[in-house]
Amino acid sequence: MVATLMGTAILAGCSGGEKAAGQQEVNLYTARHYDSDQALYDRFTKETGIKINRIEGKADELVARMKSEGANSPADLFITADAGALWRAQKEGLFQPVKSETLDARIPANLREPAGNWYGFTRRARIVAYDAAKVKPEEIDDYAKLAAPRFKGKICVRSSDSVYNLSLVGALIEAWGPDKAGQWVKGIVANMARPPEGGDRDQIRAVAAGVCEVALTNSYYYVRMATGDDAADRKVTEKVKLGFPSLDGKGAHVNISGGGIAKNAPNRDNAVKLLEFFASADSQKHISANNGEFPASPDVPAPPPVDTYAKFTANPMSAAAFAARQPEAQSMMSAAGWR
Amino acid sequence: MLGVVGAALGRDSADIAVRDILRYGLTSAWLALLVGTITAVVGTLAAWLVVMHRFPGRDLFAWALALPLAVPAFALAYGYADLFDVAGALRMGLRDEMGFDLPFEMRSIGGAAFILSAAFYPYVYLAMRAAFLNQSANVIEAANMLGCSGWRVLWRVALPMARPALAAGVALAAMETLADYGAVQFLSVQTLTTGVVRAWSVYGSTASAARFALPLLAAAALLLWVERASRKGRTHESGKARWRALAVQPLGRLAAPLAFAFCLFLLTAGLLLPVGWLVWNLAATSPDWPRLIGAVRNSLFLGSIGALLTVALATMLALGTRRLPMAARLASLGYATPGAVMAIGLLAPAGVIWTIAPGSGAAIAIILLLFAYAARLMAAALEPIDAGLARVTPSMIHAARTLGRSETGAALAVDLPIARGAMLTAGLIVFIDILKELPATLILRPFNFDTLAVIANNYALDERLGQAGLPSILIIILSLPAVIWLTRRIAQARPGT
Repeated sequence: MVATLMGTAILAGCSGGEKAAGQQEVNLYTARHYDSDQALYDRFTKETGIKINRIEGKADELVARMKSEGANSPADLFITADAGALWRAQKEGLFQPVKSETLDARIPANLREPAGNWYGFTRRARIVAYDAAKVKPEEIDDYAKLAAPRFKGKICVRSSDSVYNLSLVGALIEAWGPDKAGQWVKGIVANMARPPEGGDRDQIRAVAAGVCEVALTNSYYYVRMATGDDAADRKVTEKVKLGFPSLDGKGAHVNISGGGIAKNAPNRDNAVKLLEFFASADSQKHISANNGEFPASPDVPAPPPVDTYAKFTANPMSAAAFAARQPEAQSMMSAAGWR
Repeated sequence: MLGVVGAALGRDSADIAVRDILRYGLTSAWLALLVGTITAVVGTLAAWLVVMHRFPGRDLFAWALALPLAVPAFALAYGYADLFDVAGALRMGLRDEMGFDLPFEMRSIGGAAFILSAAFYPYVYLAMRAAFLNQSANVIEAANMLGCSGWRVLWRVALPMARPALAAGVALAAMETLADYGAVQFLSVQTLTTGVVRAWSVYGSTASAARFALPLLAAAALLLWVERASRKGRTHESGKARWRALAVQPLGRLAAPLAFAFCLFLLTAGLLLPVGWLVWNLAATSPDWPRLIGAVRNSLFLGSIGALLTVALATMLALGTRRLPMAARLASLGYATPGAVMAIGLLAPAGVIWTIAPGSGAAIAIILLLFAYAARLMAAALEPIDAGLARVTPSMIHAARTLGRSETGAALAVDLPIARGAMLTAGLIVFIDILKELPATLILRPFNFDTLAVIANNYALDERLGQAGLPSILIIILSLPAVIWLTRRIAQARPGT
C-alpha cells in the first residue's frame, strides 16, 4: 500500500510539473504578495516564452527553505518586498553575483548591492500617516520627533517582527548609532496607544477611528487606500494624511523591493532575464500604478495616481547598509518591549 | 519529530532568552486552560440538553452543533477580528450612533480564547454526546427515584460517569489550541507555536525553534496521559447490558426557549456569524477563479491521500500496539505540536533526499508534507481506530489462528472488517484536519502548489480579508459533508434500540 501511495504521489508530482520538451522555465521564490504582479508574470511569459514556476511565502521562511534545500535547491530567482531579507539571504550564501549592464545602468547604486548580489526595482517609503485635525506637519517632520513625549499614547505601530519596521530601525541605528536609536525605540514603546496588532492598514484605520494620532506605515498602503475601490478606505484617507519625516534632514527612509539570482540556480540565464524584466521601465511603471510603490530608476517618473505622493526627498542611505542592521534592530526592539 | 528533539539539544543557539520561551509558554498554557474550561462547560451543557431533553430545534441541533468543525480556526479569527475591529464598520457605527464602544478587543488572549473555544467546542460536545447516549437508563432512573432530578442528575451522576469522555474531549480541544498557528498569529497572540515559526524564520535557527517546540511536546504528553489515566477505572459496556431508551424530558415554557437560544448562540458563534461576515465581505471582491480551483484540487488531493496514509499508518500502529504500547503513545505526541515543527524537522532530511535525487522536487515535497500531516494527526486517527479495534476480543483472534490464518492473516481477516467503521471515522477526521492545516503546508509545499488554507492565509497577511473569505468558505464547503457524516454516525441509535 505504501508503494501505491508513493507511486501515486510521484505521478501526481510529475504530472504537476510537466513541461513540454524544450520548454523554458524559471523557478521563482517570491515574498511579494501583491495581486498586481500576476499581470507581470503573464506578460513575461508571453514575451519570452519562459514559464514561471512560483512559490510565494514570507521572506524568512523562503530563506530558511532555500538554506535547507542546499545545493540542489530549485530556486532561480528570489524576490522580496524588503531589503533585509535580501541581505540575510546574501549572508547565508544563497545568492550569486550577477554581471548585468542593464541592471547596473538602470538601478541606482544605493538601491543595489555593490557586487551585484541583489538589485532593487521599486521603492517604498516608511513614513507616517497622521490625523490632520490633531497633528501639525511640523510636529512630524523628523523621525526623532515621533519618540517625543508629545505623542505619548498616540502612536500606532505594527509588530516588531515586521521586516519594514526592522529596516526602519536598522536605518536609524546606521544613522544615529545604537545608543540614540535605542532611546528612540524605547520612546516609541512608551508612546504606543495600544500593543502592536494588525498590519499597516490597520494602523491607518486606527488613526481614523481616533485610537491614535500618528501611525507608521509604508507609503503604498496609504496610496492604495486613497486611490482604490473601497469607499470606506478612501474616506479614511480624507481624514488621515501622509507625512514624510526626515532622517537627519536627508530625507525619508526608503526601502526596496528587489531580487537576486540564487547560487545554484538551474535556470540562471532565465532568472537574469526575469530580474531585468522586473527592472524594466514598463514593469516599474506597472507596479507603481497598480501597487502604489515608487519606481527605482531615476528615468522612470511615477505614474498617476502615485505621482502626487512621489514628490518627497528620499534618504540616500544605501539599502545594503540598513539591511545589515536588521538583527541588531530585532534584538533592540525585543529588549525594549516592542512586541 | 525525533530529529526536532535532537536538534533542540545541540548545535547553534540563537539569542533566544529563556525569558522569551517562558513568556510564550505561559501564554500558550493560559490560552489552553481558558479554552479547555470554556469548551468543557459549553460542550457538556449542549450535549446534556440535546440528549436528555426535548425542545424545539433539538433534532437539528443534535448534529448541527458539530458543524464548526468544518471551519478552520483561522477563518474564525479573520471573521471576528474584522467584524470587531476597532476601526471597522461595526464599532465605528456604534461609536457614531450610540456613543459607546464595545469594551473588548478581539486581538488579545481573551479574544483568542473566545474564538478558539467557538472553534473547538465540538470536540467536547461530540465526546459528551456519545457518552450521554451510551448511559445506562437504569442508573438515571435509580437516581431519579432517590430524589435526584434535573441538573443534579447531570452533576452528581451523569458527569462522573462520563468523565473519561470529558477528559478526552477537553484534551483534544486543548491540544488543538496548543497546535493552532493561523488564528493566534493573525490575532497577534504570542504562543509557543508562533514562537517556533518566528525562531526558525527570523532567527534562522532550527535549534531555537525546537526549543519552543519542546514544551508543546511535553504538554501533549501530559494531556494524553491525563486522558488515558481517566479512562483506567472505566467499566466497558458489557455485552450483557440491557439497553432501554433513555427517558427524554420535554422542557417547559421557560426552559425550552432558553435551551434553543443557547444552542443557537453556540452555532452562531462557531459558524454562522463569522462565516456570514466573510460571505458579506465577498460581495466587494473579484475572485481569482483559476487559482482557487487549482487550490481546491490540491487541497482535496492532499486531504484524501493524507487521510489514507495516516489511517493506514495508524491502523498498523494500533495493531502493533498490543506488543508495543509505547509506540502508539509516542506517535500521538505530535497532536499538540504545530505542523510547522513537523515540517521544519523534515526539511533537513529533505535536503539529503534532494541531493540524492534532484529533479524529483515536487514529488518529494508532497511526500514529506504527507508525512508531516501523518505525524501531526496520528492521535486523531488512533483514537477511533483504537476504540474500534478494542471490540475485537482475543478469542476472535485465537479462533482465526486456529482456523489456520497467520498472525497477519488473522489481523486482516478479523481486525480490519470490525474496525472498518472506525477507520472511516478516522479517515474523515484526518481529511478535515488536513484541509484546515496551515503551517506545515506553508513550509513544505512545492512550486505552483497552493492549498485553500495557504491562499486564505496569504490574503489575510496582506490585509485583504475580503478575499481571504472565499478560500475559507471553500474549505468549509468541502469539509461539511465529512463533518455531517461524522456527527450523524456518532449519533447512531443507542445499541439495542
